[in-house]
Amino acid sequence: MMRSVNPDLDLTISRVIKAPRSVIWSAWTDPWSFEQWWVPAPAKCKVLEMDLRPGGSFETQISEDGGEFVPHLSGCFLDIVDGERITFTNALLGGWRPAEHPFMTAIVTLQEHPQGTEYVAHVMHKNDADRAMHEKMGFADGWGTVMEQLANLAEQRATSRARP
Amino acid sequence: MEQDARQLNGIFQAIADPTRRAVLGRLGSGPASVSDLAKPFDMALPSFMQHIRLLEESGWIRTRKVGRVRICAIEEEPFTAVERWLFEQRAIWEGRTDRLQQFVETIRVEETQE
Repeated sequence: MMRSVNPDLDLTISRVIKAPRSVIWSAWTDPWSFEQWWVPAPAKCKVLEMDLRPGGSFETQISEDGGEFVPHLSGCFLDIVDGERITFTNALLGGWRPAEHPFMTAIVTLQEHPQGTEYVAHVMHKNDADRAMHEKMGFADGWGTVMEQLANLAEQRATSRARP
Repeated sequence: MEQDARQLNGIFQAIADPTRRAVLGRLGSGPASVSDLAKPFDMALPSFMQHIRLLEESGWIRTRKVGRVRICAIEEEPFTAVERWLFEQRAIWEGRTDRLQQFVETIRVEETQE
C-alpha cells in the first residue's frame, strides 16, 4: 500500500525494544497488559473493547487523579496482521460507524531486529477545525500535558543512560 | 527538517534537568521574577542563573529587566500553533512507547529471574 508522509501532520516514533516480537505483541493486544502502559501514571486506563479485527471496536477510558473513568480513545481497528501490525483510527467506531471527532490514524509495526524488536508507530493526523478546537482548550492545558510527558520522557531517558 | 531536529534536541536537553522542569512548571501559571523562581531551590544565584540562561537560549522562556528585577515568562514563539500541537502528540506517543518498552523489558527481567 502506498503511504505518503506529511511532515506537518504525521509523526513517526521508532524504537528498538529488547524483547521478542511476541512479548510486545501481547503487551499491546492483551487488555490487562495494555492498561499497564497506555497512559502515564498516576492516570489509569481501562479497556472497554479491543476487538482485534477490521471494523472491531477499540474503546478505552481514563481516570485522572483517582477520579471516575471517562472516555479516552474511541475508534476501530482497520487492519490486523497477527504479530506484526496494528492499524487503528478514531475516524471510525466499531462496525465502521463514522466518529464524532476524528483526528488520527495510527499504524504500529513490529519487526525483527538483532537486539530484539523494532517498534514503529506512524501516526497521521487530520488538519482542520478539530485542531483549532484543540488549540482553544488553551495554552496552559495543552502545555501541562506536554510538560508532564516530556518530564517523564527525560527522566526515563536519564535513568536508562545512567544504567551500566 | 534537520533544523527542526536540532531545535528539538535543544528543547529536550533543556528539560533533562529537574530544576529547569520545575521552573517551567512554575512559569506555566504565569511570569515570575528570577528571585521568586529561585526561592524553592537550595542553590547559589549564579548557578540558578545558568539554568535560566539555558532555558532562554533553547527558546523555552524569555526574560526582560524591569528596573532591578528580571522577569521570566514561558515563550510561545518557538512553536507555531501547529508545531506545538504535533509536538504534543509526539510527546504523548513517545511516552506511550517508553512505557511499553519499560513494561515488556521488566516482564523479561522478571521471567529470567523466576
